Order: sequence, then structure tokens, then C-alpha cells
Amino acid sequence: MSQPILSIRNLVKTYPNGVRALKGVSFDVKRGEFLVIIGLSGSGKSTLLRCLNRLHEPTSGEIIFRSESDGMRKEFDIAKAEGKQIYEVRRKIGMIFQHFNIIERHSVINNVLYGSLGRTSAWRSILGLYSQEDRRKAKDYLDLVGIGDKAHYRASQLSGGQQQRVAIARALMQSPEILLADEPVASLDPATCHTVMDYLRKVNTELGLTVICNLHFLSLVRQYGTRVIALKAGELVYEGHPNDIDEAWFARIYGEGAREVHVN
Amino acid sequence: MSETGGKIRRTIFDAIVFAYLVIFVLVAIMRPDSDELIEQMGFNVALFFGLAFMGGVISLAVSAKGIKTLGEVIYAPAHRRTVSDPDTPLWQTFWGVQLILALIATFVLGWVLTEVNPLLLIEAEPISQAMRLFAEVADPDWSILPKAIMKIIESIFIAFMATAFAVPIAFVLSFISARNIMGKSPIGMVIYTLLRVSFNLSRSIEPILWAIIFTIWVSFGPFAGMLALMVHSIASLAKQYSEIVEGVSDGPIEGIEATGAGRLQTVWFAIVPQIVLPYISYTIYRWDTNLRMATILGFVGGGGIGTMLMEYQGQSRWPQVGTIIVVMAFVVWVMDAFSSHVRAAIK
Repeated sequence: MSQPILSIRNLVKTYPNGVRALKGVSFDVKRGEFLVIIGLSGSGKSTLLRCLNRLHEPTSGEIIFRSESDGMRKEFDIAKAEGKQIYEVRRKIGMIFQHFNIIERHSVINNVLYGSLGRTSAWRSILGLYSQEDRRKAKDYLDLVGIGDKAHYRASQLSGGQQQRVAIARALMQSPEILLADEPVASLDPATCHTVMDYLRKVNTELGLTVICNLHFLSLVRQYGTRVIALKAGELVYEGHPNDIDEAWFARIYGEGAREVHVN
Repeated sequence: MSETGGKIRRTIFDAIVFAYLVIFVLVAIMRPDSDELIEQMGFNVALFFGLAFMGGVISLAVSAKGIKTLGEVIYAPAHRRTVSDPDTPLWQTFWGVQLILALIATFVLGWVLTEVNPLLLIEAEPISQAMRLFAEVADPDWSILPKAIMKIIESIFIAFMATAFAVPIAFVLSFISARNIMGKSPIGMVIYTLLRVSFNLSRSIEPILWAIIFTIWVSFGPFAGMLALMVHSIASLAKQYSEIVEGVSDGPIEGIEATGAGRLQTVWFAIVPQIVLPYISYTIYRWDTNLRMATILGFVGGGGIGTMLMEYQGQSRWPQVGTIIVVMAFVVWVMDAFSSHVRAAIK
């Protein structure tokens, strides 16, 4: 079996206001898996994802990334990346967000093209001079997430689920090795929720992308996750298969008296 | 606001209010004229600080008893701010009495200092003079209309050029004077603070004063007026623009940063789309404001229709003044209507 794509060791994040969001978290992420992170709001899930692509600065610890893109094998510590290396890390790790975070006033196709910003020089991107290959790729990824016909709509005209699919296409545009998803369906209705999750599974199984996804609903976790870890107050409290989370574990992760809610 | 900072501000504020009220009573009793006050300035200042010291002590003593002072109401940090009991009327609270006394004192003082005298308004002789002037102004001399039009066009372009030169400069400055962009490093904070202070300083100097400076620098004429408005506009626009930048939502910024985009790309693709419309709105409003100011810059030699107005007014040629007022009012009205229409349309 190949080495894990990410090895996180003793990851600590303390915010300037003294909040200790992560108190020394260690786990591995296997290449090609669909890893789900669960936990209450404020348990450190979002902080953890944002440390992985350095949107937030980890306070201490290691994030060993074994990159295999562009036919090159490279192993380095994301937590110690500096300057241009940070941009490289972000380029290799796509991310989608609860609130989609696309540019609503711009066209769908342009939003997808922004996924190539990391490999396009500032002036070329500002003048809109993307390569023919990137334009073709952007179109292909829009087709992949089923909204190829919406390419020239303004992004704000799309529904929430469609906007999240634009965000997925943008992330794919980076040709990433890992896709981070921070509560990707938390602001969507239950029906749309499954469409978006299905596309995430599709990129995981068909494109072989490693997915790390924060989720709220356990039913979704069991349906889509291949492995799950749970955070509680900044600490890792569970690691295992989604179906192994029984009531005792559920109570431990979410606190006594919590009850499971089903989405379908 | 920090706990101690809030307490210091509260005490200073209460101290000044106390000194102000006591001095008001003293002045009301002793009725000194302003020459006497100026002669005794040293003593007056000492008296003020002495009373302020007493006021500060009183404030601390009253606060120690848990009574809310006016300073506390204004400067208490957010977490200590409590809703006042709605059943207690204002005049039965300590701070309410402080407020009412200070307002009464200020109004009475203002009445005296601005020499308010309603009787002057109804004296017969001055009324007839004013009426004659109104009549002349209301009967404009249209023969100078072509000249007035030429001059108002000059004013419009003074305002336009001042805005046009100010916009790109303010655009660039707005990013390096926005806290959310600069606040991440100590050097950034220094630049931010320096820029904000200099904006506030140059904004606190009215364009008419800038015009006086520039007429000396580049001599009289529209160029001086344009420069005066430009300096004022850069500071105003940069401050307004940077406040828009500070209000942008973080989501799109994270979204673009996560793709591996550089700093310039993040600004261009995540921030600029969010600020374009408010920028346009503020810019048109600035042009509108600049036009109003451009019409009077001529009074100090800044060119435009103000120059003409000053000449005719100096010679008491009221029908000509009337023409100029009509032209000014018309153009300002049209510009104002246009500007508010555009601003409503892009909201």
C-alpha cells in the first residue's frame, strides 16, 4: 500500500485572541480516500481544513504532503512552506466552501477559469488572456458537473446547488491532488445536497482525487465517507469507518442528549 | 476600547462638563466682557483646570458609588454598556441631569455668542433695503448670460478634472489604507495609520483654503482651483474607498486565495468586483460635490463662475448677480439630479 498523501502530526492552532482551535491533532490521509471530518460547530473542523492549505497559519506541528503531480514525486512539510511555496500548496489543494465563495458578479466560465490563477501570471489573468487549453478545460469541467449550458450566465443567476458545482469546477481547474470541502452542503436544501455530494463522490472515484470533507449530518457521512475522523474541542476523538459510529460514540462526539437528524 | 481607556475618557469627559457648567454659572453672574477674559487668560485656564480636577474627582466618587455619569454613558466599553431602566425618567438620573444642564448652558451661551437678535429682522429701514436688493436680483440681466455660461462650463470642468485626477490616486491609496489588507503586518499598520492621519488632516482643510495656497503656488486661475479640489478629493475618496474595501466579504477572498492566486490577483478578482459599484457611486457624488465647491472657489482666485460672482457682487450690480445665481442653481440642480439618479440606478 502506498504512503499516505498527508501525514498530520501534533497540529496546533492558537488564534491571536487566545482561542485554542486545535490542540495537537495527528492523523493520516490515504491517497484516493473520501475522508469525512465530523464534530460540533467550533470543534476546529474548519480551522483544520484551512491549516491544510495555509489559508490559516498553523501555530506548530507538521503537515507532510507527498505530492505526485506533474510526474514528480515531492515530499515536504506544508506547515513550514514559505513565500511562493504557499501558493504552490494552495494550487495543488482545491477547496470548496459552505457559502461557495465564487465571484457572483462574474460569469460562470470566468469563475471556473479563476481556478487557473495559480499557474497564470498576474497580468495575463487581469487582461483575461487564458490559454486555449485552459479555456477548453474550463468548459470540460463545467460539463462534468452538469452545467455546461450555463457557462455564460452571471454566477449570481444560478441556484445555490449550481453555484457549488461552479465552485467544484473551479477547484478541479487547479488540477489538484486533494480537494478540501468545508461544509459543502450546509447551506443547501436536502434534495440539492445529494446532487452536490454525488458530484464530490464522482470526482473522488472517477478522477481519483483525495477528498477531505467537513460534514454535519451523520447520514451523509455514512453514505459518502470511506473513513471518518471526529474532532471535539480541538482534539481528535474518533477515527474509523463511518458505519462503526454507534450511539455511544455519537454521544461522546456530540455530547449527551444530542439526537441524530436524518437528511435524505 | 480597553477598560482603563474607557475609564480615563469617562473621567476626562465628566471633568470637562463639570468645569464647563461651573464656569458658565460664574460668567453668568460676573458678566465679564471678552477683553477682560482675554487679559486674564492665564488665570482662566488655571481656573478651568482646577475645576476640571474637581470634576474628575467628583466623577470618580460618583462612579465608585455605582451611579452612571454622562461620561460613562458615552465612553463605557461595549460589554459594560447596560440598557437604562426605561421607567426612570431622564431628569431623575444623574447622567440625564448632566446632559440637560449642559444642553441648556450651551444653547444660552450660543444665543449670546452668535448675537441672536430677532428684533433686527423686523426693523423697517433694513427690510426695505433688503427688499430692494431682492427685487434687483430677481430681475436678472440676461445680457451677461453667454459670459456666465462660459464661466460655469469652466467650473464644471474644474470639478471634472479634479475628480478625474483624484480617482486613480485614491484608488491605489484605498487598498494600502484599508485595515483588512494592511493589518496583517506591523509595517502595514504603520502605513495604514500614517495614511489615515494624513487623509484626515488634508480633509480637515477646506478646499477654499487649499485654493488660497495654490493661487500662491501656481498663480490665480482655474488650475489653482482644480488643484485645491483635487487634494481635497484624493483624501475624501481614499477614505471612503478604503472603508468600502474594509467592508468587503471575506468569502470570495478565501475562494480566490485557495486557488493559489497571488496578492494582486486576489485584490483584482476577489475585492475589485465587490467594490466597483460603490466606487462609481462615491465618485459621481464627489464630482457633484466638487461642482458646488468649484462655483465658489473663484472668490479666492480659483477660477470658474465664482470669479464673476465676486466681481459683480463687489460692484453691487445685483441684476448681474441674479443671472449668475440662476445659472449656478440650474447647473447644480441638474448635476444633483443626474448624480442621484445614477447612484440609485447602480445600487
